[in-house]
Amino acid sequence: MASVLAKLREAGETVLKIAEKKGLEEAEAYLVSNKVLTIRLVNNAVFESKGVHDIGVGLRVIKGNMLGFSSTADLSKKSLQKLVDAATSASKARKLPFKYSFPKPGKIPKVTGVYSKKLAELQPEKAVERAYEMVEASMSYSKKVKDNAGVLNIVSYETLVLNTHGVKAKNVGTFFEASLNATAKYRGKVSEGSEATAGRSIKELKPKEIGEKAAEMAVSGLKTQKLKEGIYTMLLDYEPTQEITSYAAMLVSPMIARLYYPLFLNKIGKKVASSQVTLIDDPLMHNGVGSAPIDDEGTPSKKRVIINRGVLKGFVYDSFYAAMEKKKTTGNAVRVSFAVGVSAFPGKNYNGEPIPLPRNPYIKPGKWKREEILEDTKRGLLVRRFHYTRLTNPTRGDFTSILRMGLYIVKNGEVTGAVRKSRLLDNLLKILQNVDAVSDKLVVAGSWGDYAHTPMIRTKAHVTPID
Amino acid sequence: MELVMEEDLALYAVKLASELGAEYVDARLEDHYNEIIVVADGKVQQGVINRKRGIGVRTLVNGAWGFQSTTDLTKRGVRQTVEIAFKIAKASSRHVPKPVELAPAKAYKASYKTEARIDLEDVAFEDKLKHLVTWEKKLYTSKRIVRGLAEYTGLKINKMFVNNEGANIKFSNSLVWLSLKADSKKGAVAQSYEKTVGHSGGYELFKKNNMEKMAVEIGHKAEALLKAKAAKTEKDATVILDNDYAALLVHEIVGHPSEADRVLGREAAWAGTTWWAGKIGEKIGSEQFTAYDDPTIPGTLGYYLYDDEGVKARRKVLVKKGVLKGHMHSRETAAVFGVKPNAGMRAITFEYIPLIRMSNTFFGEGDWKKDELIEETKHGYLVSCMRHPSIDDKRYNWTISAQEAYEIKNGELTTHLRDVALTSTAPKFFKSIDAATKKVEIIPLPGCGKGDPMQSLYVGNGGPYIRGVATVLGVR
Repeated sequence: MASVLAKLREAGETVLKIAEKKGLEEAEAYLVSNKVLTIRLVNNAVFESKGVHDIGVGLRVIKGNMLGFSSTADLSKKSLQKLVDAATSASKARKLPFKYSFPKPGKIPKVTGVYSKKLAELQPEKAVERAYEMVEASMSYSKKVKDNAGVLNIVSYETLVLNTHGVKAKNVGTFFEASLNATAKYRGKVSEGSEATAGRSIKELKPKEIGEKAAEMAVSGLKTQKLKEGIYTMLLDYEPTQEITSYAAMLVSPMIARLYYPLFLNKIGKKVASSQVTLIDDPLMHNGVGSAPIDDEGTPSKKRVIINRGVLKGFVYDSFYAAMEKKKTTGNAVRVSFAVGVSAFPGKNYNGEPIPLPRNPYIKPGKWKREEILEDTKRGLLVRRFHYTRLTNPTRGDFTSILRMGLYIVKNGEVTGAVRKSRLLDNLLKILQNVDAVSDKLVVAGSWGDYAHTPMIRTKAHVTPID
Repeated sequence: MELVMEEDLALYAVKLASELGAEYVDARLEDHYNEIIVVADGKVQQGVINRKRGIGVRTLVNGAWGFQSTTDLTKRGVRQTVEIAFKIAKASSRHVPKPVELAPAKAYKASYKTEARIDLEDVAFEDKLKHLVTWEKKLYTSKRIVRGLAEYTGLKINKMFVNNEGANIKFSNSLVWLSLKADSKKGAVAQSYEKTVGHSGGYELFKKNNMEKMAVEIGHKAEALLKAKAAKTEKDATVILDNDYAALLVHEIVGHPSEADRVLGREAAWAGTTWWAGKIGEKIGSEQFTAYDDPTIPGTLGYYLYDDEGVKARRKVLVKKGVLKGHMHSRETAAVFGVKPNAGMRAITFEYIPLIRMSNTFFGEGDWKKDELIEETKHGYLVSCMRHPSIDDKRYNWTISAQEAYEIKNGELTTHLRDVALTSTAPKFFKSIDAATKKVEIIPLPGCGKGDPMQSLYVGNGGPYIRGVATVLGVR
């Protein structure tokens, strides 16, 4: 690891020197080494193993309050010279209508439980075995399980931020994402189940548990009844609640709000959820899947309450959007490449400008035990999985998800049976405002590259059966 | 082109993997340049220039796939990459009960390029920023326009494909697209209207299209929608879909379920499966329902002549006169289905293993004129311009919202409608198609996601205007 960081540091220092020589007033180099190993499982077998080691640098420069960005994966001196030229060229005609400067150095806190040497050094042979254990566990759970598909991603990253104000900060971490989708078949009936989780170390990776949970959900859905359209009390299990949290978290980015999803614009100080909902962003959390000592422009991390008992307290900021809105950065710069045709691997990316986003968001656990929420529900639906969730009207908040699997009727405090595939069709604000119970434990859940800590919640929503 | 100088590195990778014992190996050496500009509220929100070059090596060892990529284009870097690709394929092979087989494919030697009359790098980035700011500004046609958004992407990709069967293909591609969106608001009614233009070609896209005029039209549309009537729910209504709406529909309920890996259950983990698995040769729609996937159409976002397995591209007939004819294939899925490979494999960069992807998927033409189609509709809706899809995992049940619609009464367009979505099931809708116009249009659709790690790709989709039956969903 030391040699990679040394290589990044050397390239970063070279870039800053070239920028200084060129007469640029400010420069910031964001250097990344991001290693991903993916084991893909299909049809009960290992289908492919693939790896990437992405090393590169993203450079921002300022001259005359004009901002430019460019990136390259080639760290040779010749290429770094070209990089400075490209960033300078990108800055021309981008005169900012507000005063902007890169972040100054700050005291960097310690964050624990985000790096595992064993995970970083896990050999492909072992990774293949761990991934395959998910399939074995699912198949052993029941003869009715006939097919499995899944993914194990193992990621290790090192990043370094250097800027001309003296920021020199590194961020090192590891994580895995593991998921399995099981299909059960019995007497002409077909049913799916899935489990997906993430963690920071090898000891958190429990393939057997993942396989069994996916299989259990699949088998439990073999006998189903059809649902009547209506408004239901919804017990949203960990994964669906994580998707709701993920949307709520996006809405508090001033960039996302201005460009794509304005649902929370002009709602600061207003009630956007029930008083049961407190949304926190805590990148300092021990072992947090989104934890890090710094954000992606080197600003020290801090914990922040975004929604307090239903009231939207404020948006999250990186230094750019903070300057635009005459506020202070909240340490929420995130470099995500969402561009089409451009690499965007799990872990760290250097090929985009930072944008403001919550980094380790979660709904604060409540007082209810998971079983108590269930026992307290007279009639409702337990939803264990969302699929293809969309905010179909980002201004009004129209919200939909396919309840593809893991959907059950709850009667008098008990799960009484599974329900056929249905569709949730409601409004995100209403769903947040109808939350009347939050469970007391955080679990890591998610899907398709988006994982977070989450409790389960109870709310109400309109559900319609689908063919 | 510098890439040619590194050709020996790609050949070295192939030779080395073969020597290690790989049954099959291919290498993709690529050089990517991309630029992204996002303007909103009169400000440049993102202005990005990226460069990346490297090599991806795919090996088949004991019937299992391994893949590794690197940006270290030294002999040492490539050697290490090949060794890892070999090692991880070998590790995978312990749990591959049925070894992978590849359908035979001719090893082509070819070199081709997209015609770009104005090279992206010949236009100063500074000028592009100015253009975007100007176009975004034009969206604000009145006080009612509360937000504008202009998003531009330009890509230049030089790629070279070689394999141990002797294929050697070079492709120089250039792609450009731009989306403009205006958000409007009056009281409690909030609307938006957006349009995307794009092609495989150069910066001349903005000479071919008058962007200032287009921005003003978008602004006017967003304003007009404020006065439109909210749609009401109507079960099983006659609907005429314009090219743009048909583009998203064909993408979601014909394109994705036609991916053979999805048909085989290999995408079940996230994306899902396909309701029409095992139904090739069966009637799944009306005589008027035909659909193709065709990468060989110059100027489209899905254009290529050889895929990322070196297979020569051709038009794929997916559905002909209501009968399911075939799927999009890799060499591997072609072997499973016992058919010839049809060049469906693509990866967004050398860092990713290729997957079966759409190129340009579209509904086939009919023999109607657009006006006739409307005139011959007693009561129905003309549904225009895609918005958001929500599709189930089998691509069976679908709901897709539109940007606007017009009610048709006695063959004439009448009330302008907002907040419209259509819903149906795929077979029900396919069986209901009773007419299509002659003119087919391919719409740029950047942003098709698939795979883990996710690969976000640009494709073309479209069709003629088509008429069928679906339930209109009004505002809840």
